[in-house]
Amino acid sequence: MTVTERTVVGVGDGGTPARGRWSVTRPWLSLASRLGLAAVWLVAGGSKISDLGASGRAVNAYQIFPYDVAMVIGAALPFVEIALGLILLLGLATRLAAGVSAALLVVFVAGIVSAWARGLSIDCGCFGGGGDLAAGQDPRYGTEILRDLGFLVLAGFLLLWPRTPYSLDAAIGIGPDDEEPAQEE
Amino acid sequence: MNDRKKSRRRPGRPGESHPGRAGEPPAGRPGESRPGRAGNRAARMIREQRARERRRRRALWTSVGAVFVLVIAGLIGWGVTAARNAGDFTPPAGANPEGTGIVVGSGPVDIDIYADFLCPFCKQFEQQAGETIDQLVAEGKVRVTYHPVAFLNRYSSTNYSTRSAAASGCAAQSGKFLEYARALFDRQPPEGGPGLSDDQLVDIAVEVGLGRDSFRNCVRGNTFKKWTDHVTEEASRAGVTGTPTVMVDGKPVQASAESVRAAVAAAGG
Repeated sequence: MTVTERTVVGVGDGGTPARGRWSVTRPWLSLASRLGLAAVWLVAGGSKISDLGASGRAVNAYQIFPYDVAMVIGAALPFVEIALGLILLLGLATRLAAGVSAALLVVFVAGIVSAWARGLSIDCGCFGGGGDLAAGQDPRYGTEILRDLGFLVLAGFLLLWPRTPYSLDAAIGIGPDDEEPAQEE
Repeated sequence: MNDRKKSRRRPGRPGESHPGRAGEPPAGRPGESRPGRAGNRAARMIREQRARERRRRRALWTSVGAVFVLVIAGLIGWGVTAARNAGDFTPPAGANPEGTGIVVGSGPVDIDIYADFLCPFCKQFEQQAGETIDQLVAEGKVRVTYHPVAFLNRYSSTNYSTRSAAASGCAAQSGKFLEYARALFDRQPPEGGPGLSDDQLVDIAVEVGLGRDSFRNCVRGNTFKKWTDHVTEEASRAGVTGTPTVMVDGKPVQASAESVRAAVAAAGG
């Protein structure tokens, strides 16, 4: 049933070759974004989960939240990251997962920018670690921000085009239509 | 699901019998054409709209489920740390009343040293400033509190930071904290490896003159692990985010003999 409908939509698009090529490559780009983002979250969460205290201290090092709040955020974050990674890996509620990813990444970038602006000398703690840098070590805020912006591009692509092959979304048939809002009405 | 669709597809409803647009290709599925193209088209639109609504509802519930999973994951993390922090600790002999460090000396000026036994700069500080601090203690000028924190557990495969700090608690219990701490720095393992084994921690204790059996029991029994967690937790709470951190009368100073001496002099010591 899904297949038939997709064909109909394809015909309706009027298949100029460029469009055709885009509609062929787009799902695979989405799939790559989905799996890439899943890997990012799984690695990020996995590297923090073995030492939740350190994760909390990394959050605390930003000096944004009160200590106890930072510890709770630090403890919860790795679990959320891993859950998000698994959801993306399965391809479930992909647009939502992409949205949450983008929101988290924006918050992370804002945190790093704020640490930079306040002249703190910390490790972002993005993939474990974190906290003050030792004397003589330079922070790498620029690299960290660029990396997160790269991840943000993946999340944005997936947010715009959440339909991917090999996803639970496709398997339970909720993919096709949340994609072309312009076609409705 | 198909049955319902079919019943909606019946042609000949009043008001829908305008002639269909000429030349329009037969809609959708083959083998389903019925008389009355316009009715067919309207029926198809209704059918598609129903399907869309169903998909949207399914998508909504999927999203609700995903949000639920994320929230639960976060709560699990919260619960895990809450459970870890629960429970009482026993500070070793020689600890300050708050149980956040081992006190040496009784002078008027307070020095707080936060160090991790795996941290190379802490070793450097100990080797560069250790004598100066001993001297200040001997002159009765300062009261030093050593906080053996476990910040760097992820830089060893065996939680060496926690194990070594807890072992230093065992040494404090027997009145040889400083000797043992210095020996640990002298034998500091590299970051990223397994660290020293429990047996090696016991051997070092024997070298500084502690009893092998009681020390081994103390290390093996995790006697001061909870205390180490407490020391680490309270150090973070006090705003210590890296090691070594050195404070003179509560104010951070550079981790060197000169700046410690200058700060103590400035504080009237």
